[in-house]
Amino acid sequence: MKKVLALLLALSMALALVACGGNSGGNSSSNSGGQTNNGGQTDDGGSSEGETKHIKVGMVCIGDENDQGYTYNFMRGVEGATEDLKAKGIEVEWVFKYNILENSGCEDANIELAEDGCQLIIDNSFGHEEFMLKVAPDYPDIQFVACTNQASWGDDLPNTHNAFANIYEGRYLAGVAAGMKLQQMIDDGEITADQAVIGYVGAYSFAEVISGFTSYFLGARSVCPSVTMKVQFVGSWSDATEEANAASALCDMGCVLISQHSDNTTPATTAQSKGAFHTGYNNDMTGVAPEASIIGTRIDWSVYFTHIIECVVNGEEFEQDWCKGLADGAVVLTPLNEAIAAPGTAEKLEEVEAAIKSGELNVFDTSTFTVDGAELTQAFALDTDGDYAADSEEAVFDGAFHESYFQSAPYFTIEIDGIEWLNSEY
Amino acid sequence: MYEQKVPLVRLAKRDGMPGWQAWCIRLASILVALILGGLVMMIALPDGSNPVAAYGTIITGALGTKTAIRQTVKIAVPLLGCALAIAPCFKMRFWNIGAEGQITAGAIAASYFALYWVGRVPSVLLIVIMGLAGAIAGGLWALIPAFFKAKWNTNETLFTLMMNYIIIGVVRWLQGGPWEGRPGSQIIPNFDQSVWLPKVLGVHCGWIIVLVLVVVMHIYMNHTKQGYEIAVIGDSVNTARYAGMNVGRIMMRTMFISGAISGLVGFIVAAGANNTLYDGVANGVGFTSITVAWLSQLNAFAMVAISLMLAVLSKGADTLQTKLQVPASISDIITGILLFCMLGCEFFINYRLIFRKQGHKEGAKS
Repeated sequence: MKKVLALLLALSMALALVACGGNSGGNSSSNSGGQTNNGGQTDDGGSSEGETKHIKVGMVCIGDENDQGYTYNFMRGVEGATEDLKAKGIEVEWVFKYNILENSGCEDANIELAEDGCQLIIDNSFGHEEFMLKVAPDYPDIQFVACTNQASWGDDLPNTHNAFANIYEGRYLAGVAAGMKLQQMIDDGEITADQAVIGYVGAYSFAEVISGFTSYFLGARSVCPSVTMKVQFVGSWSDATEEANAASALCDMGCVLISQHSDNTTPATTAQSKGAFHTGYNNDMTGVAPEASIIGTRIDWSVYFTHIIECVVNGEEFEQDWCKGLADGAVVLTPLNEAIAAPGTAEKLEEVEAAIKSGELNVFDTSTFTVDGAELTQAFALDTDGDYAADSEEAVFDGAFHESYFQSAPYFTIEIDGIEWLNSEY
Repeated sequence: MYEQKVPLVRLAKRDGMPGWQAWCIRLASILVALILGGLVMMIALPDGSNPVAAYGTIITGALGTKTAIRQTVKIAVPLLGCALAIAPCFKMRFWNIGAEGQITAGAIAASYFALYWVGRVPSVLLIVIMGLAGAIAGGLWALIPAFFKAKWNTNETLFTLMMNYIIIGVVRWLQGGPWEGRPGSQIIPNFDQSVWLPKVLGVHCGWIIVLVLVVVMHIYMNHTKQGYEIAVIGDSVNTARYAGMNVGRIMMRTMFISGAISGLVGFIVAAGANNTLYDGVANGVGFTSITVAWLSQLNAFAMVAISLMLAVLSKGADTLQTKLQVPASISDIITGILLFCMLGCEFFINYRLIFRKQGHKEGAKS
């Protein structure tokens, strides 16, 4: 009896081994984008371009694709770019370094990728840049990109680059969808006009976050004039529990709609459990919170990746500071949750999107908001002396604050009326 | 009746095993670890690559190119320095597992001067001041649990461990508060280039400092009165008392020295490798170095080899992850298996197993 059992156990273990082996094999081949053996296949397909061009691209990620948020969104960009480039006869071999925090491990990861033969290295988080910049001078033939940061336009390294997208345009649209919902609730008598309060879960009181929630708020107020907003900073870019706590606290303070600039889906699920509505970031969150999440917005990085990889393959230079928006497909909305969105939302979004694309509507139109009761007439965009206070380039002109105009990284850091910061120590 | 009670396996202390035999067991343990690690890799690696090739990747990844060697040395430096720091404490049987915090304390003090004193004093002098400040801060941070242990016999293991979390919390506060660079970024700006530790042969000169420390600590532990006192306390506190040693004072002195070296490592890491300060400055070194110290049997020269070995593994596994896209955790698993086997084999060196013999009277011969 014992022997039979032992035999069974051994057999099942052997099977498990085989199964595991098969699994991870499949995983890794999907990881590394296109292998070289695909070159033969394109020949079979009879592509007119002749030979396939090959490039190795490294990517340093602060998380991994399992975060369902920030890095996941980059991975979607990677997939999109790989597809697009394949059609153009360019095979991309991706090499990833996952879970690289913003410390000297990031320097090591960049060296590792450079030594591995990558011609282009992309660092996906803001804090990676300083460490990337310690490596870039040693490898002048490799192009380095620090997403969302801003040193490249000012440093004297020709092989460093920054990129971001006009995510504030997408936020504004998400705000419009939220505002429509709030206005519907007011019209239906579910809440009074002054109960239209949005709760916003922000990571830190950081320019990117401030710019994001301000544009979101302006979008909401453009369709729901009585709306106000409370912002709770959680002190982390990614802390599922704290984000949920913040969302919960905001709901308890009377917020009827939650939005977020943080990496997890917990604000969406918390909003749903508290009976509030929600709009998301980075990822379509209607799946985890179908009764709460109305819409989301995200950066489509494939547009940028396709562009720069093509440049590198063809030996061309590309921008040191890149920023595109809705008009170029770099910012997109996730599918609208028609079941809970206010009627007419889709049409309204189309209309506003067209206005933003054509330049007719400027998100930070200074006639739509006030600062301490007065219209904003002056604000600098760039910090040129390194003291982290903007001191150059007037951003307010032609009746609007021009965000991401002088550099890709957001620089709107003004507290406008109607938005209450609950804990600005973060 | 009596034989029924004899367990299947018994342990007996063994002494006087010849040195070569002990080393054979140690080598065998490494072999076992490599085989076990190979099994793990067979499961984890993509099809078509075999574990032997993977081990090859680890070795070439760590030592194959100049850059790789530099990176490996950079990993080994704090490990070695910190192992040297905790060795006297462990010799004394004072379980200092707070090296993590002492490194951090040293890094904070060094960073203060790096951030606010640039331009006020010549940079060479400033680097020296940073090193001294780091050593003193680390020493004082270690002195606190030693004082409580000497005065009220508190548990030093828990005390030193808790101190880690406090000082790491202090760094978080500095990162988001007074020392923060761009508002909201939680990042302390890089130090001015003039206070970066100069590079010698492509690696920051911290490696020279720790190599000097190896010799100094070897002499201190084996050829000085203080080193002897530490050894006596480690063997028996009562003997030390009987011999008229002031145990409390020696404890505090030793902990201060230990903390000071850890603090110096903190300075080396902050000024040499990171060029900035963040909460993960110690990066687990304070704990890994305990393994280094144990594996080296507290021998300063053996620590050089062990810390290099761990650095090779760590750097090589990183390359393995890059080249074969295996999860980073695989490298942790392999390192874990190796350390487990190496530490575990000490058990077989110190004890032997006696199996119950069927039909015979137990323990007749061995």
